[in-house]
Amino acid sequence: MTDFGFGGEVVRRPRSRPSFRELNSYNYFRRNVAGVQREWWFHRSGCRAWFIAERDTTTNEVFFTARPAEVEGAGAGVDGAQKADGAS
Amino acid sequence: MSRLPAQPGERIARERVVRFTFDGHPVEGYEGDTIGSALYAAGRRTFSRSFKYHRRRGLMCCAGQCPNCIVAVDGAPGARACTEPVREGMRVEHLNATPGLEFDLMSAVDRFGGALTPPGFYYKTFIRPRKLWPVYEKVLRHAAGLGRIAKVHPDRQWQTEYRRRHTDVLVVGGGLAGLRAAASAAELGADVLLVDNGPRPGGRAIVDGHHGTAGHLHDKAVAAGVEILDGATALGYFDGLVPVWQGSTLHQIRAQEHVFATGAVEQPLVFSGNDLPGVMLSGGACRLASLYAVKPGNRAVVATTSDRGLQAAIALRKIGVELAAVADLRSTPGPPADAVRKLGVEVLPGHTVVEAQGGKTVAKATIAPVQASEADGGAPPTGRTFECDLVITSGGFVPAASLLVQAGAKTRYDSQRGHFALSDMPKSVHAAGEVAGYEDADSLSCSGKLAGLAAAHALGLGNPASRKAADELRERAATATAHPAAAALPPAVCGQGASKCFVCHCEDVTAKDIRQSIAEGYDSIELCKRYTTVTMGPCQGRMCELQSVRLMAQEMGRSLDEIGTTTTRPPTTPVPMGVLAGPPFEPAKRSAIHGRHRELNANVMWAGDWRRAYDYGDPEAEVLAVHRAAGLIDVSTLGKLLVRGPDAGEFLDRLYPNRLSNLKPGRIRYGVINSDAGRIVDDGTICRLDDDTFYVTTTSSGAGAVEEWFSWWLTDWGMRVYLTDITQGLAAVNLAGPKAREIMERVTELDCSNEAFKYLDGKRALIAGVPCLILRIGFVGELGYEIHCPSAHGEHLWDALLQAGEEFGIRPFGLEPQRVLRLQKMHILVGQDTDSESTPFGAAMPWIVKLDKEEDFIGRWALERYSTESASTTLVGFTLSDGRVPTEGSVVLDGGQAPIGQVTSSRFSPVLRQVIGMAWVPAGRASDGDTVTIADNGRTLQARVRTKPFYDPDGEVLRS
Amino acid sequence: MSLEFLDASAAVKTEGFSPVARSPMERRARAAGAQIEERGGWALAVAYAASEQEAQTISHAAGWADMSHLAKLELQAEPDVVEAIFVSNPSAHFELGTAHRTDGAWWCPLAPSRLLVICEPSRFASVRRQLEDAVGAARKPVSLVDVTTAFAALTIVGPLSREVFARFSALDLRPHETPVGAVRPGSVARQPGVVVCEDEDRFLMLFGWAVAEYVWRQVEEAARRLGGSPVGIDALAPLDAAVEEVGG
Repeated sequence: MTDFGFGGEVVRRPRSRPSFRELNSYNYFRRNVAGVQREWWFHRSGCRAWFIAERDTTTNEVFFTARPAEVEGAGAGVDGAQKADGAS
Repeated sequence: MSRLPAQPGERIARERVVRFTFDGHPVEGYEGDTIGSALYAAGRRTFSRSFKYHRRRGLMCCAGQCPNCIVAVDGAPGARACTEPVREGMRVEHLNATPGLEFDLMSAVDRFGGALTPPGFYYKTFIRPRKLWPVYEKVLRHAAGLGRIAKVHPDRQWQTEYRRRHTDVLVVGGGLAGLRAAASAAELGADVLLVDNGPRPGGRAIVDGHHGTAGHLHDKAVAAGVEILDGATALGYFDGLVPVWQGSTLHQIRAQEHVFATGAVEQPLVFSGNDLPGVMLSGGACRLASLYAVKPGNRAVVATTSDRGLQAAIALRKIGVELAAVADLRSTPGPPADAVRKLGVEVLPGHTVVEAQGGKTVAKATIAPVQASEADGGAPPTGRTFECDLVITSGGFVPAASLLVQAGAKTRYDSQRGHFALSDMPKSVHAAGEVAGYEDADSLSCSGKLAGLAAAHALGLGNPASRKAADELRERAATATAHPAAAALPPAVCGQGASKCFVCHCEDVTAKDIRQSIAEGYDSIELCKRYTTVTMGPCQGRMCELQSVRLMAQEMGRSLDEIGTTTTRPPTTPVPMGVLAGPPFEPAKRSAIHGRHRELNANVMWAGDWRRAYDYGDPEAEVLAVHRAAGLIDVSTLGKLLVRGPDAGEFLDRLYPNRLSNLKPGRIRYGVINSDAGRIVDDGTICRLDDDTFYVTTTSSGAGAVEEWFSWWLTDWGMRVYLTDITQGLAAVNLAGPKAREIMERVTELDCSNEAFKYLDGKRALIAGVPCLILRIGFVGELGYEIHCPSAHGEHLWDALLQAGEEFGIRPFGLEPQRVLRLQKMHILVGQDTDSESTPFGAAMPWIVKLDKEEDFIGRWALERYSTESASTTLVGFTLSDGRVPTEGSVVLDGGQAPIGQVTSSRFSPVLRQVIGMAWVPAGRASDGDTVTIADNGRTLQARVRTKPFYDPDGEVLRS
Repeated sequence: MSLEFLDASAAVKTEGFSPVARSPMERRARAAGAQIEERGGWALAVAYAASEQEAQTISHAAGWADMSHLAKLELQAEPDVVEAIFVSNPSAHFELGTAHRTDGAWWCPLAPSRLLVICEPSRFASVRRQLEDAVGAARKPVSLVDVTTAFAALTIVGPLSREVFARFSALDLRPHETPVGAVRPGSVARQPGVVVCEDEDRFLMLFGWAVAEYVWRQVEEAARRLGGSPVGIDALAPLDAAVEEVGG
């Protein structure tokens, strides 16, 4: 499918200078849950907006989608390492 | 000819004769016939040779389920004769028999090869000597398989049309239940699409003499607005998308609600010789008779686990088939038994067929009392033997639930019915009819109506009356399914005689093979499947899964639930690859100037998504033109982003490691985008157009990703910034070379003197009458103007510049000369000279990282760390003296021959008359004058490190 | 605006130069037999066949016309600002996915903070003025960008137009799902696109300028099988005759 782009699970970017360990954990580690998680999605072929979805990774069922501003406590921050791969 | 007088529901049009050939011999049938019915009517009984033993196989299911009648039609293997309609002039051929169907040399395997062909025999019998495996493989490939595909087949080339469709309700299966479901949903106002694999909906009703009801329902559905796709097969269920194959069209159907009324599949009984031509399922015999008016045989033995076989016996008797004996596996046969007896036919309760014997077709069958189980190779069963040319079996029905299971439904073993029945239904999916456990015409229809109403109600349609009706139907349906018609559970193997008992007809797997598989330790259904290949043939387990599970359960002393079933996967039916391939979508991006490149005979190549001019025939001359006069390159592929808003400067400060908020309007700065891991993502130039507006260019291949990256952070940070991707909106060319300024003066009134228009200035002006943004940058190392204009004027701009430059010797140049030119300047190409691990420090661009910026920026924390550590390898330039250009990707060796880096770019520079390149080398050898060894295809080359650009190292040319 | 280099209509004819704006599909159109005429600074495919024949295509099958010359303006701002500017049109009701037709322009809300306005080149100056005035009145950050040449466009028209779309797009264009005036951002031929239902059986499809040749081929392949053919812009009935008269 080309309509939507997957942006990885929602990861909180450290608010202040992280320790080396925290930085690596933020850059390279994901929870990779088998179950419900919050993810970033991009409506690539459509309105070109980023939004957050809650999806069950085992059934692909999507429970809700929302713009980040509408998601309380969604946490800011994104999956840096993964995007780097995508762009290079 | 065994054609019957006109049958009430027959599909054939006797006034229209259709002629075709089978293995070269002419055959006549009627319009409406299938290949199978026409051949059967003409007296053919053997339709194929089996997969492994090359045994004769004849029509069995007549419903497109079993593998027995697979033939090649006009050279295309894989058609099922029993469902493929006849066409005038079609060329039908058998598969898998040499030299012919009636005399197949390979059938010797059946008689003499038994001991040599146990499960896994490929790797047991044929493994030694190992050297001979390639020979064995060829022989085996020829012996097995279901046909051959010609290498070239021009008459078979066709392109499937993909047709994407939306509907409120999709109904799969056009039997009584499906038709009723479709009609009732449509009557409540839903858009309904009904998919049926027959030439006309009606399903089993037409066979069973309910063609009147079926026809009435069909008309009702059409009147309610149902669109019917007939001759169409639903191939799978993919997250709500159902691909439906109909001739040369593949419908991709998305529905909000799905009703599956896919029916049930009649199961064969497992006994000795159960694959002989003439051993037929009750449904198969009835279909031949009622749809095609073909008499399946003259004298039949019947064995059944339910009333269905008895009813078939009565129906066959009606068309003149003599009944030798009827065995009912139940100890108390159902009510139709009396009717059978009234015909003067003996009904044997608690009996089954244990053996069929015959040569070309079945000649006699033995009936004996049902025994729970029989040991392998035990004494032949004692019983009564009847002469016959037809053995009708009915071993129960299995729901055709594969689509439902793919949609998320679960199945559980139902001991009352003796099969795996649906248990949990997913959302927006409904089952109706036989697949859901309904049996008689009334409850089939009732369950269909219920499913149709439920689907419509789920869509928010309907009214109080329809809801009340649904409630009533729900109660009636519950009552109907609570008491299934009495049926016997057949033993896993009914009898074992001299001949083989086939569990799986597709792959020639016998009961003995399954036992052996268990004995060898392949004792789970999934392992047994992979070892014996049971359920892996063209029927995809429809006719063998239950039998193999039952046999395993019996042999291992476990329940059927414990053994479980194998996974149902799409496609539900074999489908030609060409149908799935469909028409290609190969989106190519072309610059607005692309037509001109073609007219200039450019060598065009793919560059990411783009079609680009690689060169115009002479890359070296193009390089020299840029150095000596002027060159023009189309750079429209550059990513172009407008970043606007009061916070635009701050936004870019957060995304780039250098500072952009202090860039003056009309000035340009180079920038490298990093990830938070401090790795290089992309690079490009940023020009500030006014206080609130920045014009950002990116690499050609990175354009999409950079826009997504910017937009992602923007979404996260919620700043007052707006992004517009205008990559495709602007054409761009780079006019470069010592004569560039003079050429500019011919096409614009803009003052292009070095004082008025400095290096890294960005200006807006009309060029050749077209509004442009002109960036003075120097990717290729000469005085250069990168000119951006609306795409619609790209060709005009290109033409005007080439014309103005003609007297100066301007040449268009392509991607390859540009690569040489930029390499001379050591300008990196992200993705070519860097990879996902490269940092700005490693890439020798520490100056781009401004850690003295007080604000946070993406990659800051990682870059702070890299700034204090010395990188292990560094990107440097190198020159080679011996004139050979090392392959890009060649390894850089340390003294001890271990790889320690690699060459990323290398070219011969025509202006420097030297081989130049860039490579990652150990930090300790990254100083000017160091030497490194490059290994390239067995040669070793000594390269000299250089850290400054090869051409115009101090940028004087660029700034002049 | 500091972005005049995005404005194809800002090109001027001088003694030495006579720029004409060209569609990225001009070569395909010429190959298909188009008669090209220069109108309002654009080279346009005005007709392919006799007008009766094109009318027949449109009334019985499907025709496609190159509409890349339509002016397109993108406006971005905070959602409340976008909505306020949108409803400054009399009788306009702001709803995502529903375009408003006024003065020969389609006002298409693509996202809460993104509005796309599409109009005939003849209406461009006045529509832009209207938008600029609204932006000035908003007193909040607004980005107004001319994206005319970022999007190529085709109008697909005729009773089989939905079937043409079905060959390369999964958008649901059934009349009750996509009524007249509906605007649908989504994938067309695996490329980002925007489809506006302009009238019964008439759709305007926007897609990237650089993929236009590719999209043309896809549309051509799909439509030809269904008996369709390219039609000139003169074969398209004006959407709102009164406005066209004023503008023309």
